[in-house]
Amino acid sequence: MPKSWLLAWVGPLSLLSLTACNPGASDPPADISQQIAASTDEGARLAAACAGCHSSEPGAIASLVGYSEAQLLERMTAYRSAADGTTVMHRLARGYSDEETALISAYLSDGEGEE
Amino acid sequence: MTRSPNRRDLLALGALGLGSALLPQTALSQARAKIVIIGGGFGGASAAKQLIRLLPQASITLIEAQATYTACPFSNLVLGTDRTLAQQTFSYDALSTLGIQVVAQRAVDVNAETQTVTLSDESTLSYDRLILSPGIDIRWGALEGYSEAAAELLPHAWKAGPQTILLRRQLDALEDGQSVIMTVPPAPYRCPPGPYERASMIAHYLKARKPRSKLIVLDAKDQFSKMALFQEAWAEHYPDHLEWRGAIDDGRISRVDAANNTVFTDFDSYSAPVINVIPPQKAGSIADKAGVSDATGWCPIEPVAFESTLQSKIHVIGDATIAAPMPKSAFSANLQAKICAMGVARLFADLPPELTVFANTCYSYTTPSEAISIAGVYSNASGQLQNISGAGGVSPLGADIGVREAEAAQAAHWFVTITQEAFG
Repeated sequence: MPKSWLLAWVGPLSLLSLTACNPGASDPPADISQQIAASTDEGARLAAACAGCHSSEPGAIASLVGYSEAQLLERMTAYRSAADGTTVMHRLARGYSDEETALISAYLSDGEGEE
Repeated sequence: MTRSPNRRDLLALGALGLGSALLPQTALSQARAKIVIIGGGFGGASAAKQLIRLLPQASITLIEAQATYTACPFSNLVLGTDRTLAQQTFSYDALSTLGIQVVAQRAVDVNAETQTVTLSDESTLSYDRLILSPGIDIRWGALEGYSEAAAELLPHAWKAGPQTILLRRQLDALEDGQSVIMTVPPAPYRCPPGPYERASMIAHYLKARKPRSKLIVLDAKDQFSKMALFQEAWAEHYPDHLEWRGAIDDGRISRVDAANNTVFTDFDSYSAPVINVIPPQKAGSIADKAGVSDATGWCPIEPVAFESTLQSKIHVIGDATIAAPMPKSAFSANLQAKICAMGVARLFADLPPELTVFANTCYSYTTPSEAISIAGVYSNASGQLQNISGAGGVSPLGADIGVREAEAAQAAHWFVTITQEAFG
């Protein structure tokens, strides 16, 4: 088990647990709020749709693991701009703006979108 | 004899996922959000997984009466090919391992005021937020003569499981030359292109195994999802084995007589040894108990965190919702679940749920090796879900077989991914 994974898991738990021992604490602590804000930001929300088809599982549709932000942006942009494209990805990509396409590419390239 | 756990204990316990179970209850009560999810289909299971990821310290309970889930997507292949129901079946073991409390009870009541759920064993669970993913129920009585008893004779097979097996056995018992009838209700219903994929699979089965038999589809509609693509495939593959009649051709049925294997339209009646009645539907009945369904039988929601517009602190996702133009599909349920879970997590962090863009993709098989697709992209910025214009649409008409085979392969891969997303 990679150590970084363990730390990522233990970190939020320990913070919450320590807060729980503080009587009268009703508001979520700032760090937890920040963490949830980050894990539900616009990139995470937009990219949630991608995981419906793309995962790192064997046998799945093209895995998105290992691509750089620039590579993903290039592919998404190609799908969006191909006027005669008829694949599912052409039809989907046309629904996203420049900004949304960039956010999805950034999100998926940092590995957060994969299990 | 209790002592406050120190940081080292918490780290050790946290790593095992046991921290919350062993901590003193009083210390936890304030920070430990209680989220109850009813329904272990694509929506409920996906919501539970997303929530435990976002809120690892929260109490996440999934209430599902069935010990395993039988997936509807691909169940039409069980009817028409050698695919088995076992390939459609998924356990909740992985969800339990993640720390989700999976309760094998039926939710029989919800009290939105006291924020409690009553289970079939008469125990109650309280919640801070409730997520309902109850799927569909048959609207018994909406079609004259179609009751639960009638469904044992004329299966609907619109919830995968024993009904799927019953319909397959009836097809197997059919003698070559006898007819099969399928009836299709008006929209909305689960899986808009589902009846036509099923028609394709039954026609494939007849062509291969009962070549003198024929399927007659009696439809309450004149238009349907991927219509031109299905009709193109039917003309090519099943000209002698599939006949579709829309409402304009007296295709809408008004009554069934299960004992005599007969269905009635306004002007005619049809009898056959096998009749698949796809009946009118509504949100799963727990939605009525919770007071989140309206006169249509479905559940109005706000499309950002999918909170009911009828009851606060109750969210509804998946087939039960009024989310058109987003269809009642497994893809939609999974995505709505993830976005709903993010919204709920934000609410617990005193953050407002935020807008996003949704998508959907549905594949339908026309033969065991060829498929067609529809895709859509949706905005929730206007306060309701709306198509994003210029995006989405169906596979090209007149495409060569390579395109159809590629989409069949994508469909198979999609099934692997979406079931892993929900149950893996």
